[in-house]
Amino acid sequence: MEQTIKETIRYPKKLLGVNPNDAKVSLAYLSVAFISLLIGGLLGLVQGLERAGLIELPSWLNYYQVLTAHGLLLLVVFTATFTVGYQFANLSHSFGGLLPKVRTLAWVGFYLMIIGVGMVVTMIVLNEASVLYTFYPPLAAHPIFYVGLVFVVLGIWACCLGVFINYRHWRKNHPGQVTPLLAFFAMGVFVLWFFASIGVTIEVLTLIPWSMGLVETTNVMVARTLFWWFGHTLVNIWYLVATSAWYVIVPKIIGGRHFSDKLIRLVVILLVILNIPGGFHHQIIDPAISQSIKFLHVFMSLSIAVPSLMTAFAMFAVFERTGRKLGGKGWLGWLKKLPWGDVRFLAPMMAMLAFIPGGAGGIVNTSNQLNQVIHNTMWVVGHFHITVGISVVLTFFGICYWLVPYLSKRKLTPKMNKLGVIQTIIWTVGMMLMSTSMHIVGLMGDPRRTSDTTYGGHEVAASWIPYEMVFAIAATLLLIGVIIQVYAVFHMMFLSPKGQTEFPVAEPEEHAPVAPLWTERWGLWTVLLLAVIAMAYVVPIVDMIMNAPPGSPPIRTW
Amino acid sequence: MKQAKYGLLLYIFLALPPVASLMESVMIVHMHMQLTLLVLSGFLMGTFFKQRFASFFNNWNQSGVPGVILAVVIWAYWMIPRIMDETLTMHSIEIFKYISLPFLVGVPLRDSWKKVSYTVKHILYIFMTINFIVMGWIYVAINQQICNNYLLVEQRTLGFGSFAFAACMIIYGFIWIFSERKEHQQSS
Ligand code: HEM
Ligand SMILES: [Cu+2]
Repeated sequence: MEQTIKETIRYPKKLLGVNPNDAKVSLAYLSVAFISLLIGGLLGLVQGLERAGLIELPSWLNYYQVLTAHGLLLLVVFTATFTVGYQFANLSHSFGGLLPKVRTLAWVGFYLMIIGVGMVVTMIVLNEASVLYTFYPPLAAHPIFYVGLVFVVLGIWACCLGVFINYRHWRKNHPGQVTPLLAFFAMGVFVLWFFASIGVTIEVLTLIPWSMGLVETTNVMVARTLFWWFGHTLVNIWYLVATSAWYVIVPKIIGGRHFSDKLIRLVVILLVILNIPGGFHHQIIDPAISQSIKFLHVFMSLSIAVPSLMTAFAMFAVFERTGRKLGGKGWLGWLKKLPWGDVRFLAPMMAMLAFIPGGAGGIVNTSNQLNQVIHNTMWVVGHFHITVGISVVLTFFGICYWLVPYLSKRKLTPKMNKLGVIQTIIWTVGMMLMSTSMHIVGLMGDPRRTSDTTYGGHEVAASWIPYEMVFAIAATLLLIGVIIQVYAVFHMMFLSPKGQTEFPVAEPEEHAPVAPLWTERWGLWTVLLLAVIAMAYVVPIVDMIMNAPPGSPPIRTW
Repeated sequence: MKQAKYGLLLYIFLALPPVASLMESVMIVHMHMQLTLLVLSGFLMGTFFKQRFASFFNNWNQSGVPGVILAVVIWAYWMIPRIMDETLTMHSIEIFKYISLPFLVGVPLRDSWKKVSYTVKHILYIFMTINFIVMGWIYVAINQQICNNYLLVEQRTLGFGSFAFAACMIIYGFIWIFSERKEHQQSS
């Protein structure tokens, strides 16, 4: 408390707007995020062109090197740095500034991540780590690649610790009060992140001595299982980050109120507790896991559909309510009243709409029989470009148009808004084109993660080519989208006119009941999360270790 | 009352023959999940019984301690490995499982929970933790198959699972002592 008061005196502006020191943290993370997006997007185009056969990579650059960098830069670096930047801004805004030691932790996290990413990227560039972003054994990268990953995880842990400290501090000084919604989301995100990364950390720590040759073999099944413990949860971390904007920010932008506080918190809690075991739906084809265990896991991963459907319901209820209040009539008249010309609404709205086919595809992927058809085909790539590439990324883009000017004390000009709308349209069209053709060609058997799919001109392989041409066209559109977005972000960071921008946080409905205090029992949620992990993972992992096949030596295929 | 309905739904779900046989096919799911979910269904249905038979509970479970003791005894019975075998082979024991766990563990626990003091709750909590540790140790350490129906590897798994639960309970115990207890007492 004392600390905060001292801070307030030292930075009198804090209560009026953003604390400049906190803004710097967030802006640093966002800068890294969008530089990664630019590089990753460029690599995406290279892949699209190579798959369509329009270019041939030079001998010093191989497709799997490019694919590894694309996956890691976008899936890990872009999303992680954006999430930290955005969530710390939310926290600072909700709590009226971060504690100084928390800010220090955020910087420590930043540098740890930079060092880690530097090591990882260097190894990929040196062609020592073309192991794809999943880095499953038996493919073995250079040990430095894994050490880099450890640094990234340490960076994330530093941020987690910071969030937990600030949360406890706030709760101690506000007895009997529930935390502001955005801070509640931040807790959910970082709790999930912390426990998600434990799995992958154990994996990577076993891979380091193995890749150095200190131990001869490794247990591939255990490594894959630990990877997906993390990988699957990461997906839901993005989802939670995106929903924090859907639930709390978007209603304010359209001039409405947010949905029931209690329901929102319940969704967060359910996502946190039920999440991690879903990892097994990525391993439906893996041997060494018995049918009945797989069946239980499908059940678990479908249970995540419950909070997702609650979200869809709540969001459309908010839209309809607000549209009607603004004078929308008839069955769908309220739709017209929504501010479609405002990029801060349009981008997340497109994201939400894309989640409908994305979610449906997810149910296909998690069903045993259907997974047999689409496993390791381009369908999967289509699936995550629609879910991550639109639902998550477009929400992140939309956030930029108020967050960046807010942090840099500048204004979102009408011109920039228009550019944002154009960007959103380009991105949506590009991704829909790309992912739709990926879905279809996947059903026709086109494999993912394969640089050349002509198979000597076989007729089935020939039938894929038109679709691969569509990837190339869409990839070009998307690169234009990336360039516009990166330009917009840095323009709003450094060049847009000075001014005040609002941090749009929706209020509850009038007379809405206050969220009950039991929702803040993070200790209990954490333990329930651990219990659910134990329920899901003890059986298969004990089995994989006790009935282990001979392990695998490190293998380099490139 | 809403709770009681959810409890009943859960109970019916658990009693569906395919659900029951799937859960019983894996040892740890049988012991850790099916048994606890049965207790939970009773715990939820407890609201109904408390209202309906209020005077009965007042007469027999005034202090709450008899309910706790009943629950502990029945629970302990279900921890005997041989009973697992019997439920799989004898129909009567299977039926007894579906009656005893919800109605003789879940319901009385529900009635007692609000009545007993923190001391009793803490003792119960510590008892359960120790129970998991001891069970875990037995199942991990023993080199013989103790159930006819389950393999040694499943038995080990159950042991590790019990350790994991004990660990969760210990962690939560610390969280309770150091933070949530104070908040809880402030708010109530
Ligand atoms: C600039 C727009 C983008 C284009 C043109 C693009 C294109 C592609 C293509 C053609 C593949 C091919 C994969 C294969 O051979 O299996 C791919 C894979 C992938 N993309 Fe993108 N992508 C873009 C944006 C993104 C974004 C924004 C994300 C995530 C945030 C992402 C994540 C991934 C991942 C994780 C893979 C799979 C890597 C693997 O299988 O190892 N992409 N992308
Ligand atoms: Cu998943």
